[in-house]
Amino acid sequence: MKTEQYIDDLIRREKQTAPNPFLSTRVMAEIEKPQRPEIKRIPVWQAFAVAAGIAAVAFLGISAGNSYIDNSSSETVININDSQIENLEYYNFDNYE
Amino acid sequence: MSDEQLIYKINSSDPSAFKMLMEKYQLQVFRTVMGFVHSKEDAEDITQDIFVKVYQSLASFKGESEFSTWLYRITVNMSINFVNRNRKNRLLQSLEDIFTKPGNEKTPLEQLEESERDRRIQKAIDSLTERQRMAFILSKYEELSQKTIASVMNTSEGAVEQLLQRAKNNLQRKLS
Repeated sequence: MKTEQYIDDLIRREKQTAPNPFLSTRVMAEIEKPQRPEIKRIPVWQAFAVAAGIAAVAFLGISAGNSYIDNSSSETVININDSQIENLEYYNFDNYE
Repeated sequence: MSDEQLIYKINSSDPSAFKMLMEKYQLQVFRTVMGFVHSKEDAEDITQDIFVKVYQSLASFKGESEFSTWLYRITVNMSINFVNRNRKNRLLQSLEDIFTKPGNEKTPLEQLEESERDRRIQKAIDSLTERQRMAFILSKYEELSQKTIASVMNTSEGAVEQLLQRAKNNLQRKLS
């Protein structure tokens, strides 16, 4: 057989291949399937802005934390006489009857 | 019902008209895709994708060319895209085909020889340039006239004739 005949033979056999009889049903099912909402692509500048915002907040938080100076001294003692907080004499029945 | 009437109905939200249009053209589309991919399963998947794409783009079809010409353009472009994307997988597919072909009256040795010959021919067709392959497949698988092929490929009849001649010579050279 000549090359051209071999080629024609292959083409004839491939042309005889029939598609699945339910191909059109498959396509219709695909078309009628509810379309998934398209995922919106976020612009690059927006992503950068959000990332920069988060970084700025983190930086400010760390800076504020670092700038805190503890002024309390362990040598200072506050002496509070509890009895002076509320004058119990006030409730003394004898004096205020 | 003519293509124009069917398209009008589809654009007026009548899905059954699209089924009619698809049944009218699915064999032509499938055959053309087979010419590019040489595999029934892949051809079915691509045919499905083509018709989904056609359905989605039908509103943009202006009717400046015939519907079949427009459909062939989509078919050819999507088939070429698929082949370019899956170049590596196709070698495995062709090897698989050799061992999974349904048996017939031929002896196993004859079947193996035929599979090997088919693979060589398919490889030779696939190695043609894109435009030579397009012209060759539309001419041999679809038996389209040179005029129709020219309008699908947006070129002149003379150019199609040249492409076909070159494709034929290249195949002869590669398979001799």
